[in-house]
Amino acid sequence: QEAWAQTQTISGRVVGTDGSGLPGVTVIVKGGSQGTSTDSDGRYSISVPASTSTLVYSFIGYAPKEVAIAGQSSINVTLSSSATGLDEVVVVGYGTQSRRDLTGSVATVNAAQIANKPVQSFEQALQGQAAGVNITTPNGVLNNPPVVRIRGVNSISLSSAPLYVIDGIPAFSGNSSAVGSVPNNPLSNINPNDIESVEVLKDASASAIYGSRAAGGVILITTKKGKRGQSRLSLDSWVGWSKPVRLYDILNAEDYIAIKNESVRNLNANRIALAPPGTTPTLAVEGFRPTLDANGNPVDTKWYDYIYRTGFSSSNTLNFSGGTEKTTYYTSVGYTDQKGMLKGNSFKRASARLNLDHKIFSRLTVGMRAGYSNSRTASPNSGSVADGAFGTAGLGRLPLVLPPNVPAYNPDGSYNTNGAGIGAGANINPTGSNNAPLLPGYYNPVVDLENNYFRSEGNEVQGSVYANLEIVKGLNLRSTYGIYNIAFEDQAFYTSLAGDSYNIGSASNFYRTNKRWNWQNTAQYDLTLGGKHNFSLLGGTEQQKTTIDRWGANRTSLADPFFTTFQGGYTNIATTGNFQGENYLLSYFGRLNYNFSSKYLASINFRRDGYSAWAQKWGNFYGASVGYAISEEDFWKNSSALSRVSFLKFTGSYGEVGNSQGVDDYASLALYNPALYGPTASLFFAAAGNPNLTWETSKKTDVGLSFGLFDDRIQGDASYYKNLVDGLILYIPQAPSKGIPDNSIPSNVGSMQNTGVELNLRVNAITTPNFSWSVNANLTTLKNKVLKLQYDDQRIGTATSGLETVNYTRVGHSVGEILAVPSPGVNKANGRRLVEKRNADGTKTLVQYDHQGTGWTTLDGQPTSAPSQLADGEYYGPTLPKWYGGFDNTFRYKNFDLGVFIQFSGGNYIYNGTKAGLHDMRFWNNDVDIKDRWTPENPNGEWPRVVYGDNVSNGSALILSTNVEKGDFARLRNVSLGYSLNQGLASRIGLSTARLYVQVQNAALLTKYKGIDPEISTNGSSNTGAGVDRNSVGQARTYTVGFNIGF
Amino acid sequence: LLGFGTVSCNEELLEPQPKASINSADAFNTPSRVLLQVNNMYDYVKAGNFLGGRYQVYGDIRANDFINRTSNLVTGAAVWQHTITESSQNDVINLWGAGYAAINQINVFLAGMEENAPKFAATPFAADFATTTATYYKAEARFLRALCYYSLLQYYARPYTDGNGSKPGLPLRLKAEKDLNNNNLARSTVAQVYEQILTDLNFAEQNLPLTQSSASLNVTRAHRNTAIALKTRVYLSMARYEDVTKEADKIVSAAAPFRAATGVAHELNPSIVSVFTSPQETTESILAFPFTAQDQPGTQNQLAYYYLPSNQGGNGEYNLSTAAGSILAEPRFTATDARRVNFVTTVSNVSYLRKYTAGSTASSPYTDKAPVMRYSEVLLNLAEALARTNGAADARALALLNAVRTRSNPSTTTPNPAAYTASSFSSTFSIIDAILLERRIEFLGEGLRNNDIMRLLLPFPAKSTVSAVQPSATLYIWPIPSTEIATNQAMTRN
Repeated sequence: QEAWAQTQTISGRVVGTDGSGLPGVTVIVKGGSQGTSTDSDGRYSISVPASTSTLVYSFIGYAPKEVAIAGQSSINVTLSSSATGLDEVVVVGYGTQSRRDLTGSVATVNAAQIANKPVQSFEQALQGQAAGVNITTPNGVLNNPPVVRIRGVNSISLSSAPLYVIDGIPAFSGNSSAVGSVPNNPLSNINPNDIESVEVLKDASASAIYGSRAAGGVILITTKKGKRGQSRLSLDSWVGWSKPVRLYDILNAEDYIAIKNESVRNLNANRIALAPPGTTPTLAVEGFRPTLDANGNPVDTKWYDYIYRTGFSSSNTLNFSGGTEKTTYYTSVGYTDQKGMLKGNSFKRASARLNLDHKIFSRLTVGMRAGYSNSRTASPNSGSVADGAFGTAGLGRLPLVLPPNVPAYNPDGSYNTNGAGIGAGANINPTGSNNAPLLPGYYNPVVDLENNYFRSEGNEVQGSVYANLEIVKGLNLRSTYGIYNIAFEDQAFYTSLAGDSYNIGSASNFYRTNKRWNWQNTAQYDLTLGGKHNFSLLGGTEQQKTTIDRWGANRTSLADPFFTTFQGGYTNIATTGNFQGENYLLSYFGRLNYNFSSKYLASINFRRDGYSAWAQKWGNFYGASVGYAISEEDFWKNSSALSRVSFLKFTGSYGEVGNSQGVDDYASLALYNPALYGPTASLFFAAAGNPNLTWETSKKTDVGLSFGLFDDRIQGDASYYKNLVDGLILYIPQAPSKGIPDNSIPSNVGSMQNTGVELNLRVNAITTPNFSWSVNANLTTLKNKVLKLQYDDQRIGTATSGLETVNYTRVGHSVGEILAVPSPGVNKANGRRLVEKRNADGTKTLVQYDHQGTGWTTLDGQPTSAPSQLADGEYYGPTLPKWYGGFDNTFRYKNFDLGVFIQFSGGNYIYNGTKAGLHDMRFWNNDVDIKDRWTPENPNGEWPRVVYGDNVSNGSALILSTNVEKGDFARLRNVSLGYSLNQGLASRIGLSTARLYVQVQNAALLTKYKGIDPEISTNGSSNTGAGVDRNSVGQARTYTVGFNIGF
Repeated sequence: LLGFGTVSCNEELLEPQPKASINSADAFNTPSRVLLQVNNMYDYVKAGNFLGGRYQVYGDIRANDFINRTSNLVTGAAVWQHTITESSQNDVINLWGAGYAAINQINVFLAGMEENAPKFAATPFAADFATTTATYYKAEARFLRALCYYSLLQYYARPYTDGNGSKPGLPLRLKAEKDLNNNNLARSTVAQVYEQILTDLNFAEQNLPLTQSSASLNVTRAHRNTAIALKTRVYLSMARYEDVTKEADKIVSAAAPFRAATGVAHELNPSIVSVFTSPQETTESILAFPFTAQDQPGTQNQLAYYYLPSNQGGNGEYNLSTAAGSILAEPRFTATDARRVNFVTTVSNVSYLRKYTAGSTASSPYTDKAPVMRYSEVLLNLAEALARTNGAADARALALLNAVRTRSNPSTTTPNPAAYTASSFSSTFSIIDAILLERRIEFLGEGLRNNDIMRLLLPFPAKSTVSAVQPSATLYIWPIPSTEIATNQAMTRN
């Protein structure tokens, strides 16, 4: 007979550092088996044997805590988050792993770093948050996909973007809009507030399980799940105001008139000097004159005022989550309505999500992840997306070129237009005849803004269902079937009043469906032998079928201005934007993880992929890694000196993964496409194809260490990486005289490597009950080098918007360096642009340019041929940052928290093409710094003597080194100040948690770069066209105020 | 249970076939597919960057009859002011690219016709396909190839008349290019390219049908007289005047009314206006490229967009100059000339060309045909050849010149006061001058001016603030595009 054991009951509450109750915390007896978990408010009660001396409190994501009972019956515990800790669970491909046992390179970004930011898609919030991940916001247009590069550019012709996997199902990414003016990033369909964590798989060991799609790294997105034993309702809301920053300072009407007329006088002087003695050349007219408004005052138009505004945005997410013993659920609805700083630029998303997990039997679990969203993006023609840099309607460009002395509206209130373009005002064409008006040919932006629209709508259904059967302990069979369907409707409408469809009017509609199904079957076996040998074995298959169709039509010749939609009355219709593609991926994969007492670690991944787009379809990919956690050795633990280093692990990995992202579905085939010859049909030779086309192979090496100091108060990791890409596909430029379609044929011929070092440091610098300061910093270096192209001295140009080629890629250098003709400045003697011209023997000769005068001459006045970019240019590179990172500080004082996040990047060059346009001596307006031009009285002027019509001296017609600048910057990306209601106050008003905050996004920028923004990438995500700034709009500054409350 | 055994690995899904493209192996399987490819060759030659608009524009704006109004590099501002460089995208690079893209489509077609010849012997091909239809098609292909090479030569090479064709010409691409080989090809001489042009045209003349199947196709596809007409132009550019006469005589009657006796009955249309009135398919039009609302010239390629003023549906990119030396300032281009009355419009004191009227105000947006050759050109080619061979006294030359001139200056008086007579000519105004002047008037905006200036090695006249370009100047001809120099290692600069 057993006596009643003496027991004691202990109760209390477990809270986090913010004072809120932590539900689901495990409370167990140290060394015993009894345990319980906390309720939704963090409260618990446990009966334990009287002999029990210590309780252990543990919870995923928090540092466990042991508390001595010492006679207490009530124990309240505060657990501190170890979100950056070593014991967190890391999501990896087809599974999870403890960070402690990880041998691959995986960066984790958690929910708090992503949520509640004034962004459209979650990747925008990843900026600067993870080592090795470089994210560039190419312009300030809403819902424009950011350029994401993991450990450098990993391809030249295919995509260098990472593979995005949402809850196990590969996602669609990249701009998917058929209408050039409005971008649509499919990833914006996910409400960032629904995301639990984002994992970035960087090396071969971590990513090889994704085989042929892993060359650019893999980003795993895990959405939120409910927690057992709790029921929560929370509301996250914010409102924000966006404004432009750092706009160019351009000439006002008076200065414009003065500068341009001076340029006309100089032109005439050139022509008189050139005329044979005794003759008079045709002289240009000083035609720049004040235009008077209705009150007789000179017009001085601030074009920026018509284009920019303070955009108001709001976002609300309501979620409800919880769980019982058998079922957990998370469900949310969200709505965000964001208006950008550009007039007419908006983004709206309504989203809903339901994540369910249900245990049918103890060994059989089923569940689903399902998201629906509707997103609507509208944008005016910003000239900043999809090759629009040189458009005559682009709002990035118009305020820079339009004369400030002409009005937007006529005195009677009508638009100031002349035909398609803006009216001349009082300006007379200096080089025209009969005092013809000076018609700029550019459009009046007000007409476009008030009448045209460009919209892209996405309806997305994304999700999966799974069943997981644990056959015997540790052996799980799992089948997951997912779909990822998006329907896009893109619309463009152009008024007939003026602009692109002047006199006609036109409307285009495009309908696109992206359909994907993905079926994965895996077997996972975890077992421990002899207590110390831990095995985890995974085997599986995956199939994925993707179909993309798009059709569209363009209707022209509007019957009546009443009609502003595609369905209205028009005379003509023509098809446009048709696309049809499909691809299929069939895969077999496996993984073995082994560790001995979490001390010696090893992992092998293998994948065999067959992909339909290739001529040679099958490829094998693998990654292997080892690790040694020396701090787990007894000698380490027992040494008082060494054990101050609480954790130290060395890892190394090597593997080969592939790249198939971005290859056309039928790239290997020789094809004929249909077209029209007037009224009859035709069929043209459209693609040469390549019967040998196959994967690009990325050979990834990674050596690293991770450490924890002083009980993990300081944690960090450092790694060296090398990605060697072989079999790089080049769309090999063919001589245009061969007349091959697109003048190129894809072929696996190149090689390129990225090397660098990544450092991560997480420091809990100060931790006191009332005040804490933690720092999370990361730094990455990158050196990109092209090792092989088709032949050694090949240079491959990448054009900006099809008009101007700045970037060239060649062997031995970084991709896409800037090729510019060096200019030492201005000849002080005569104000002409000086340029270095290369002689046959490689030496340089200084030459100078005199527009419509003596032209190109040597310094002693001898005529010489025009310098050219290809013959005389020098390279400036890299255009990719050599170093970048983030520095995130979190301060807490009592109930206040302050976040200061700095993002930095540098070592790169930018071609500031916008600056070339800003000093062009056609009728275009100029930067106010043109006042420091050369004149006889100002021989040290920065800019050449102004000559009307001169588009050469300042870089419009010749790429000049004058417009190449360093791109180093540090940006105060986010500053937030929050206040959390203390528990008592919150519960008195019926809340369990409440936090109010204000934040500023893009608060300040420190840079010597003279353009709007050193992050601008006019060529978007082009691998070889980085570092070009041509007429794009910069990023907004956004102020937000918000709250998060839980019930 | 979870279906490991039922995983169906759909290996056949790894071989998807496009539904909107035809595999090259199947492109010559039926007669209709072959015909689609014939249409395609024309479609490539009429590309907006080539003979579908811009070629015609460049031909006029290099000279002095037009004034650039928008300073837009995309619409030829650099061509107009002679400041193009080897990296000028819209003109130097794109014209070359479009021309050679057309040439390769033609070469791929010709190679495909040889490779697939065995298929033509059986159904679904008609019995006479191989012997008749296929021969017609090949002749059309070679006609178009000749037209391409001729057109490119006029911009990227020194005129034949400069050293009898001894100067560097073009890389002569005659093989179908479908793979990575043959990137490097050196330039042939100008004479060698002309020789190939004539070989192709002779083949075309011998093998083209006498007529196509409809009046419309007689304008938009080649027939025997089209090849002959082009030969008169080619020989004129080579200054082989007797050959011009020989060819022209095949399609021009000895005396007025001048007309072609065989094949398509080309003749001058009584009204120049109706030649340019939709559908522009009079028998005067020897070759012109069609556009429809479905198949438009493309942005900033449309002739009407360049020349029509903005209140008439164009963009007024260029207006007509009235300065001394311009055609509008020429007293012999009289105020009552039908070409001035109908084809010149003045808005706010500025004159514009109104030859292409399907501006955006019309329900058929910018669907004017792009003209390539008209019968009036053949008459003036012949007139010039006769005058140069036989001297000013050649009566037929005078009659041909007057046929073109008086058509637009009709009169009830006899003789027509607008007509030239022997006494019209002097040491400062020869019959040759009269013919050249008539060409400027007649073909204003049709792109022949550049070719006329170059073949005679005349300077491009000064205009507005732009200086003249002498025949000795480097920029007298266009530079070879940087894109070609960068990829074709055997290429040399101009």
